[in-house]
Amino acid sequence: MADLETIELVKDIDVDKYKYGFETDIESELAPKGLSEDIVRYISAKKNEPQWMLDWRLEAFRVWQNMEEPTWAKVSYPKIDFQDLHYYAAPKSTPAPKSLDEVDPKLLETYAKLGIPLKEQEILAGVRKQGEKSELDGESGGEYASGKVAVDAVFDSVSVVTTFKDELKKHGVIFCSISEALREHPELVKQHLGSVVPQGDNFYAALNAAVFSDGSFVYVPPGVRCPMELSTYFRMNAKNTGQFERTLIIADKGSYVSYLEGCTAPTRDESQLHAAVVELIALEDAEIKYSTVQNWYPGDAEGKGGIYNFVTKRGDCRGAHSKISWTQVETGSAITWKYPSCILRGDHSRGEFYSIAISNGRQQVDSGTKMIHLGKNTSSRIISKGIAAGRSDNTYRGLVSAHRKALNARNFTQCDSLLIGDKCGAHTVPYIESKTSTAQFEHEATTSKISDDQMFYCMSRGLSEEEAVALIVNGFVRDVLQQLPMEFMAETQKLIGISLEGSVG
Amino acid sequence: MSALLPRTAAEDSLGVSLPNRRSEEWKWTDLRRLVTAPYARKIVAARDADIDRLVASSPFASVKAKRIIIVNGVYDAKRSQLPRGEINAVVPLADDVIVGIGSKLEASGVSLVFDGNADLPVEIVHVATGAAQQAIGVRHTISVAANAAATVIETFVGEGDYLCNTVTEISLAEGARVDRIKAEVESPEATHLSHVIATLAATAMLRDFTLTSGAALNRQNGTLTFLGENADAQIAGTYLLKGRQHADTRLVVDHAVPHCTSRELFKCVMDDNARGIFQGKVIVRPDAQKTDGKQSSHALLLSEAAEFDAKPELEIYADDVVCGHGATAGDLNHDHMFYLKSRGIPEPDAKSLLIAAFAGEAFETIEHEGIRECLSAYAEGWLARR
Amino acid sequence: MLEINNLHVKLEDESREILKGLTLSVKPGEVHAIMGPNGSGKSTLSYVLSGREGYEVTEGSVTFKGEDLLALEPDQRAAKGVFLAFQYPIEIPGVATMQFLKVALNAQRKARGQKEMSAPDFMRHVKDRAARLNVSQDMLRRPVNVGFSGGEKKRAEILQMAVLEPSLCVLDETDSGLDIDALRVVAEGVNALRSPDRAMIVITHYQRLLDYIVPDKVHVLSDGKIVRTGGKELALELEEKGYADYVVKAA
Ligand SMILES: Nc1ncnc2c1ncn2[C@@H]1O[C@H](COP(=O)(O)OP(=O)(O)O)[C@@H](O)[C@H]1O
Ligand SMILES: [Mg+2]
Repeated sequence: MADLETIELVKDIDVDKYKYGFETDIESELAPKGLSEDIVRYISAKKNEPQWMLDWRLEAFRVWQNMEEPTWAKVSYPKIDFQDLHYYAAPKSTPAPKSLDEVDPKLLETYAKLGIPLKEQEILAGVRKQGEKSELDGESGGEYASGKVAVDAVFDSVSVVTTFKDELKKHGVIFCSISEALREHPELVKQHLGSVVPQGDNFYAALNAAVFSDGSFVYVPPGVRCPMELSTYFRMNAKNTGQFERTLIIADKGSYVSYLEGCTAPTRDESQLHAAVVELIALEDAEIKYSTVQNWYPGDAEGKGGIYNFVTKRGDCRGAHSKISWTQVETGSAITWKYPSCILRGDHSRGEFYSIAISNGRQQVDSGTKMIHLGKNTSSRIISKGIAAGRSDNTYRGLVSAHRKALNARNFTQCDSLLIGDKCGAHTVPYIESKTSTAQFEHEATTSKISDDQMFYCMSRGLSEEEAVALIVNGFVRDVLQQLPMEFMAETQKLIGISLEGSVG
Repeated sequence: MSALLPRTAAEDSLGVSLPNRRSEEWKWTDLRRLVTAPYARKIVAARDADIDRLVASSPFASVKAKRIIIVNGVYDAKRSQLPRGEINAVVPLADDVIVGIGSKLEASGVSLVFDGNADLPVEIVHVATGAAQQAIGVRHTISVAANAAATVIETFVGEGDYLCNTVTEISLAEGARVDRIKAEVESPEATHLSHVIATLAATAMLRDFTLTSGAALNRQNGTLTFLGENADAQIAGTYLLKGRQHADTRLVVDHAVPHCTSRELFKCVMDDNARGIFQGKVIVRPDAQKTDGKQSSHALLLSEAAEFDAKPELEIYADDVVCGHGATAGDLNHDHMFYLKSRGIPEPDAKSLLIAAFAGEAFETIEHEGIRECLSAYAEGWLARR
Repeated sequence: MLEINNLHVKLEDESREILKGLTLSVKPGEVHAIMGPNGSGKSTLSYVLSGREGYEVTEGSVTFKGEDLLALEPDQRAAKGVFLAFQYPIEIPGVATMQFLKVALNAQRKARGQKEMSAPDFMRHVKDRAARLNVSQDMLRRPVNVGFSGGEKKRAEILQMAVLEPSLCVLDETDSGLDIDALRVVAEGVNALRSPDRAMIVITHYQRLLDYIVPDKVHVLSDGKIVRTGGKELALELEEKGYADYVVKAA
C-alpha cells in the first residue's frame, strides 16, 4: 500500500509552499558588519577561545584574503559583498544555557514549530509526528527503533541547547557544541580540527575556518555503538547574517554513530550566505552514517531571496575497514554548492554517497561527491538522483579516483536525472581517474523525463497530474530514501511533494 | 591566466601560448608542460624513397581507394590522384586552441566536394619526414551535397620528432552521408593535435571512427553540431597505447535541433605507462526535444602503471530526451580468461584474443569491410609487438 | 583415469569449507553421475577440476592420468584432456565462436605436440558436429555465448566438447533449462562421444537426464562429501524420495 500512503502524503501538502518561512522575534547580539582580523578576534573573544584557536582562525583569514571565489560550478549569482554581512549573531536572552530550563521559551517554541521538540521527555521522533507511519518502515537504514534522537540546536551563530547529553555521557559519547568542546575537550579538537578539511582547502572552507561561530562536536569512544541518533538542527534567523557552522565527528576504533542534520531559514527577500564545514573521521573498523535533509529557504518563484549554501563536507576513512556513508536530501537553498566526499585511506575502507537533489523555481544545484581511493581493497558506491523542475538547473558533479597504490579499488556509480518541464536543465559532470589496472570502475548515467506511460497509468487510476508526479518521483528516488534513518523518511517524502508543487500544468 | 606565465621555448617557436591544466578542457593534458620541443614551421624537402615507404606503411594500403598524399603539410601533386580544390578562407571556431595553432602555421590541405555517390573511398595519407622538430599545419574541408555519400580516410604516418596539427571541417547537406575513418599512427616521438568540426543538416548521417595508436602526445578534439532534424551521428574510436604514450579525446556533440541521434563508443587499451583520456560532452539545447544521445567509453588497463581518465558530460535543457553515458575502467575480465583457458587456450593467447575483441567492438561501427579488416590486422600486429 | 582422494576445498577469501573430504575414482570408459541437493558442492568440484581461481585446496589430491592435476594451469589441464561443460557458460563479447573454437583446438594440439588443423579440415570438423547438435551457422558466427538462449548455450557447450574431443568430460547440470527435445539432442551428442578411452562425470540435480545418458555409477554428494554410491537404480530412488535424507542440518 506504499502508493496510497504517498498519495495521502501528497494530498496533505500545505498551501504555503515554504512552511518554515516564519521569523522568530528575538533580540540578537550582532557583530558589526564586515570581515576583518578584528571581526575574527571579536568572534574568538566572544567564545572565550584559547590563543591557538584564534591563531588558527587568523591564519585561515589570511589565506582566505588571497583566494578567489570558485567559478567552476554551474551556478550564477550576483557577486557577494563579503563586507556587507554580519559574521556573528546570537540570541541575547541566554548567553550560555546550562540546561533546557534556562533556554529562552521563544527558542523552544521555534523548534517546536519546526517539529523539533527539545524536551527530553517527549518522544523525539525527529520530524515525524507520533504514530505516523511511513511506507518505508522496516527497510530503512535507521538503526534505532526507540525513536530517541539527541539534538544539538543551532540558532544563527550559536548552539542553544544539546539534549540527552547525560545519557550519552554514560556511554562515553561526547555530543556538544563545538564551542563547548573547545572548552571541555580542547585536546580532541586541537588534534582533529582541520585535519580533514584544512583551513585553506577552498574559498568557503577558509572563510568558515576564520569565522565559524558554532556547530556540533561528536566523539564516540572505541567499541561504542552510539545508543541513539544524534542530530543537529540549524536555524538561520537573523537578517543579513551569514551562518558558518562547523561540525566535527570522530568515531574511534570499532565505534558506530548515525548523525542527522536538518536546516531551515525564514523567508526573506535578501539572500543569505551559509558556508559550513563538516569533518568526519572514522578510525579502524568505525562507521559513520551522516544524513542531511537540507531545506533552507529556496527563494521565491522569481528567484528572489533564498540561501546561498556553500558547504564543504568531507569524511576521512582513516582506519582499515572503516566506513563513511553520506545521505543527502537537498530540496532547499537558492544555490547549493556541496560535495560530501570520502577519502578512502584505510585498507578495505568503504565510502557511500546517496543523494536526492530536487530543484524547482529558480534554484541552482551543483552537488555531488568525491571518492578518493588511496588504500588497498577500498570500495565506494554513488547513487545520485537529480530532479529538475521549473526554471531550475540541477548539476551532478563528481570525482572517482584511484591512486596508483589503491589496489583493487572498486566503484559503482549510478547517476540519474529527471526533467519535469522544458524550462529546466539537468547536467552530469563526472570525473573518473584510474591510475591502477586493478581498479574496477563502473559509471552509468541517464537523463530522461517522467515517462508518458507511467503518467497515463497513474492518471487512469484517478491521480491528479501533480499527485502522479509526486508518486513517480518518490519511486525514482526510492533507492536513496531507503538509506535515510526512519525518523526522516516520512518527512522527506512529503518534502519531495512540496518541493515539486507547481512544477506541472 | 596563461598570459601571465613566461613563454616556453615551444610557445616561442610556435608563436602561440599553450593552455595548461588550469584550463578545464586541458585539465589532463597540460599542453604547456607536455610540448617542450621548439617545433617551428619549416619548408622541408623529403626524399622520394622515404615518402614512398611511409605511404606504403598506411594500415589501409591494401584498400582500393583514390589517394591524396600530403608530405610535411604540403599537397604532393605528383603522387595525388585527386585535385587539391579550393579551401574556404574562413576558419570556424577561431578561438579554439588547435584551430589557433593551425592558423599560426598557415595550415593548408585539400577541399573535397562530393556531389554524388563516390565509387571509391578517398584516402588522404599524411606523411611527415625529413626534418627534426618541424611543425606541420594541415587543414581540410569535406563537403557532401544533398543525398550524396562518400568515404574518406585520413591517415597520419611519419618518422622522427615533429608536431602535426590538423583541422578537418565536414559539412553535410540534407541527406548526405560521410564515413570518415582516421588512423593516427604517427611516429612514436611525434605530437599530434587535431580538431574535426562537423555540421549535419537534416537527415544527414555521419559515421566517424578514429584509431589512436601513434604519437607520444595526442590530443584530438571533435565538435559536432546538428543543424537539421533527424540527423544521425556515430563517433567511435579505439586507442591502442603503450610505452609512455598520452592520448586525449575531447568531443562536444551539440544537439541544437530536435529529433537527432548521437552515439559515441570509445574502446581504450592502455599498456605499460600509457595514459588514455576521454572527455565527451553531449549538449541538448532548449527545444531539442526527442534527442537520443548516448555515450560510452571503456578502458582496458593492461599494466598496473597504465592510466585512464574520463569525463563523460551531459548538459541537458530539454525534457523529452533519452540521454545517457556509461564508462568503465579495469583490467581483463577474470571469468572470460578462465573460460578461454579452460578450453586449452594459454594465457598470453587468451589475453590477446580478449584485447582484440575489446578493441574491435569499435571497428564494428565501420561499414566498409576492407577497412575493418585493415584495422583488425593493425590491432593484431600491435598485440604481437606488445 | 581420475583419482580424487580426500579432497578438501574452501573459498580463498572465506574460511568455510565447501568440499570436506571427497573421494572418487573414475576409470576410462566409465560414466559417473553425481547428484545432490543445491549447494552441496557439485559446481565447486567441477571448478576445482578445471582450475578456476578463488578456491583453495587445503587437503587431499587429484591425479589425472597419473599426473597431479592441481599443479596445472587451466589451459594445461584442457590440453591434457579435461573438459568442463559449464553450468552457466560465460558470454564473451567480440570473440566469434568459430574463431574461438579454432584457437582452442589448435592451442591444445600444439600443446600435445600435434600439427595444427588446416582451415578446411577444421571447417569440416566443426560443421559436421554442429549439424548433429542442431547448432546453426548463425550461432557459430556470433560471439561466444552472446545472445544465446539458455538451451543454445548448453548445446554450444556440448559442441565445444565434441570439437575438442577431451578424455574426461565434466558436465555440470547440462540438463537444466532444456526442454525435452533439446535434452534428447544434447544426450545424443553426449552418447556419441562415449568411448572406451573417454570418461564422463555427469553432474545433475534431476534423474531425467540419466534416462538418456545411462551412468555406470551414481554418487550422492551432500555437504561436501560423497555420502552414497550405487548403480543407475540409485538415481531412480532419489527421484522418488528426493534429497531429504541427505540434506544435513539445512539452515
Ligand atoms: N565463488 C563462490 N563464492 C561464494 N560462495 C561460493 C562460491 N562457490 C561456491 N560457493 C558456495 O559453496 C557452496 C557450494 O556451491 P556449489 O558448488 O555451487 O553447489 P552446487 O553446484 O552443488 O549447487 C554453496 O553454499 C555456495 O554458496
Ligand atoms: Mg551447481
